Amino acid sequence: MSPTVGPVSRDFNPYSDNGGTILAIAGEDFAVVAGDTRQSEGYNIQTRYAPKVFRLTDKAVLAVNGFAADGNMFVKKVKQRLEWYRHAHGKDMQLRAIARMIQTMLYAKRFFPYYVYNILGGIEEDGSGAVYSFDPVGSYEREACRAAGAAQSLVQPFLDNQIYFKNQTPAIDAPFPRHLPLSHVLSIVTDSFTSATERHIEVGDGLEIYIILAKGKTLSGLGLDGVKGLSEVTSTVDDSDGSASEGESLAEGERIFVLRRELKKD
Amino acid sequence: MSIMSYNGGSIVAMVGKDCVAIASDLRLGNQALTIATNFEKVFPVTDRLYVGLPGLATDVVTLRERFRFRVNMYTIKEEREIEPETFAHLVSSTLYERRFGPYFVEPVIAGLEKGTNKPFIATTDLIGCLTLPKDFAVAGTASDKLFGVAEGLWEPDLEPEDLFETISQTLMNAVDRDAFSGWGAIVHLITPDQVITRTLKARMD
Amino acid sequence: MDHFPTNWGRPRNEAVDLYNTYPLHLRPDNGTYGRPKDSFEEGVQRTRQPIVTGTSVLAIKFKDGVIVAADNLASYGSLARFKDIQRLHAVGTHTVIGAGGDMSDFQHIQHDLDSLIISEFSEGDGHALGPAEIYEYLSQVMYARRSKMNPLWNSILVGGWKDGKSFLGYVDLIGTTYSASTLATGYGAYIAQPLLRKAVEGRENELTEEEAVKIVEESLKVLFYRDARSLNKYQIAIVNEKGVSISDSRIAPTEWSFAEGIRGYGAQTQ
Repeated sequence: MSPTVGPVSRDFNPYSDNGGTILAIAGEDFAVVAGDTRQSEGYNIQTRYAPKVFRLTDKAVLAVNGFAADGNMFVKKVKQRLEWYRHAHGKDMQLRAIARMIQTMLYAKRFFPYYVYNILGGIEEDGSGAVYSFDPVGSYEREACRAAGAAQSLVQPFLDNQIYFKNQTPAIDAPFPRHLPLSHVLSIVTDSFTSATERHIEVGDGLEIYIILAKGKTLSGLGLDGVKGLSEVTSTVDDSDGSASEGESLAEGERIFVLRRELKKD
Repeated sequence: MSIMSYNGGSIVAMVGKDCVAIASDLRLGNQALTIATNFEKVFPVTDRLYVGLPGLATDVVTLRERFRFRVNMYTIKEEREIEPETFAHLVSSTLYERRFGPYFVEPVIAGLEKGTNKPFIATTDLIGCLTLPKDFAVAGTASDKLFGVAEGLWEPDLEPEDLFETISQTLMNAVDRDAFSGWGAIVHLITPDQVITRTLKARMD
Repeated sequence: MDHFPTNWGRPRNEAVDLYNTYPLHLRPDNGTYGRPKDSFEEGVQRTRQPIVTGTSVLAIKFKDGVIVAADNLASYGSLARFKDIQRLHAVGTHTVIGAGGDMSDFQHIQHDLDSLIISEFSEGDGHALGPAEIYEYLSQVMYARRSKMNPLWNSILVGGWKDGKSFLGYVDLIGTTYSASTLATGYGAYIAQPLLRKAVEGRENELTEEEAVKIVEESLKVLFYRDARSLNKYQIAIVNEKGVSISDSRIAPTEWSFAEGIRGYGAQTQ
C-alpha cells in the first residue's frame, strides 16, 4: 500500500465551533442581516471583532456562522463565483440565483461539508425584501426571518412572536401588518442580540447590522435619518467614512448600509 | 438520551408588581411519542406558594408527594404556613440528600411572602443548588428557548394582567419551538388576594 | 454544568495525552498496552500528532510597530530536547512569524515561505510581499492541508508593519484565522492573553517600544513559572518602519526560593 494514498490521519479533527449568532429579517422593500462579532473556541474569546456578515453585491448580503475557517473560505468562493458571473454577464447575479448557487456549492461538499449555517438576505428582482436560510449541506428555503448559530434557540422563538405574531390574536378591526417598518425591525434585531448576549456566553462584543434597501428607497423615507454608527457600503459610494449622507447618493439601484453597535464584552 | 428529557416538559416563573406567576406546559411523552396532554407539572404548596417540577415524570410524582409530606410535617410542628424562602431551602436540602443518586427534576418555586406580599421566585438544579433570580426562572426541555423569549419580553413591575400576558407568551412561543414540550399550557397568577389559574389555548402539534 | 456523576469520567484520560507527557513510541494508545496489537498495524498510517513541539507565542501591537516573542525550547514529550531552537522567523522585509506546535512542520513552512519570497524577488518587479499577503498565503496553505486531512500541526502568529500600518494575525492547523491587538497561542492564550489585553487594549496607539517589550517580557516570565513545557530563554522580534529585527536569545532571571514553602506537591513528607 502506497503511503501517499488515502487520508493520512485518523483522529485529527478538521472542524471547530467558533460560536456567535446571526439573524436576518425581510421587510416589504428592505432586508436586514445581522451578526455579532465575537469569535470564540470553547471558553476562549479569540477576538472581539471577526465579521460574520459580508456584502456580496449591492442587493445581497451573506451571513455565515459555525466553523470560522470554513465560513471564510465559503464566502471567498461565493464572491469569486459572483465575480466570474459579472465578467461573463456584465451584471450582478440575482438574489434567488445566488441562493441556488449557494445550495449547489454547499451540496458539492456533501461528504466533507462546510460546517456553516448560511443566511442570505437582500432584494429580489421584483423589489421585495428576501431572506434565504441554508443548512450546512445546502437545504434551503425563502423565509421572512431566521436566526442561526449558538443562540438560535434563544432568538428564533422570540422572532416567531415578534415578527410572525405567533400566539397573538389581532384585534377585530386591526389585523397584524404583513410587513414591519424598518425602525421596528431594527429594534427587534438589537433586542434579540442584547438578550442573546445576556444569556449566551458565545455571543457579545459587537453587533453589525446590514440594511439593504430596494431601488429608490431612502433612509429618511424609512424614518432612519441621522442614526449614529450608520455608514453606507454600496459599491458605487466611494467614501465609506461613516457619514451616511442622505439623498446625494450616487447609487442608482439598491443601497446597503451598516449599523454598528456595541454589545457586552463579558 | 438524557433522562432529563425522557418525558419532556417545561416551567417558567416570573415576578410582577406585588404578584408572581408560574406556568407549565401539559405534555407527557415517552421520548418522541406523546402519551398525555393533561400532565400538569405545577402544584400548590400553600395558598400563595406553588412549585413546578419539570423532569422525569416518575420523579415529578414522587417529589410532589415528598414535598407534600414534608410541608405537612413542617405545618404541624411549627403550627404555621411555610414561607416561600423556607420552602426553597426545603426543596434544596431534599434534593441534596440524593446528591449521588439524584431525582431528575429541576424545581421552580414561585410565591408571595406572608405579610409583605413580596414576590419570591427560585429555582434549583437536580441536586438542589439554589438560584434566586430577580426577574424570571425557567427550567425543563425548553429552558434555552424560555431564556431567550423571557429575556426579550419581561420587564420590571408588571401589573397582574400584563404579567399573565408576558408569561403566557413566553411559555407558548418557547414550547412551540421545542419538540418535547407543549400540547397545552396552564398558568397560575398569584396575587395578594387570589390565585387565578387559566388553561391556555395553545398549539396542539 | 453536567450533574450526572456517570458522565463525569475520570479527571485524566489515559488514552489522550493532551500535554505531550509521553513521546510518541511510549504513548498508551499506540499498541503498547490498553489495546491489542493489530497485525496490520504496520500497514496502517499512524495517527498524526506533533512530535517535537514548541509552546506559546505572544504578540502585541504598539504605537509604531509590532512585537512577537517565543522561547527557544523544542520539547520531545516532557523532555526538554532542544534548548536553542528558533521559533521566530523573518519572512521578507516586513513580516515575522512565530510558531508553536510541531517544529518540523514549522521548519517546512519556513522553507516554503523562503521559496515564496525568492520567487517573488526573482520577478524583479520591485514589489515586496507585505504581512497581509504572507498571512493570506499561509492561512490558505494551512486550510488546504487540513482539508487534505494532512495538517501542518502549528499555531502561528504573523506580525508585520508596512506602509505605516501594523498587522497581527493568527492561523492554526485547521485554518482558523483572526486578528486582534494582542494575540497568544497555546498556554499563552490562557495565561498571558488576559495580562496582554489588560496592558494593551485601548492603548495600541500610545505604547512605546520599550513599554511593549516590558509587557511581553513580563508575560513570558509568568509563562515560565506556570507552563512546564517552557524555557526562560527567549527571543523577541520587532517589526517597524525599519524592518524586521529578531533579537539574540535572552535569559530571564527567575526566582524559585518561594517553592520551598509550597506543601502538598513533590517529594516532601511533612
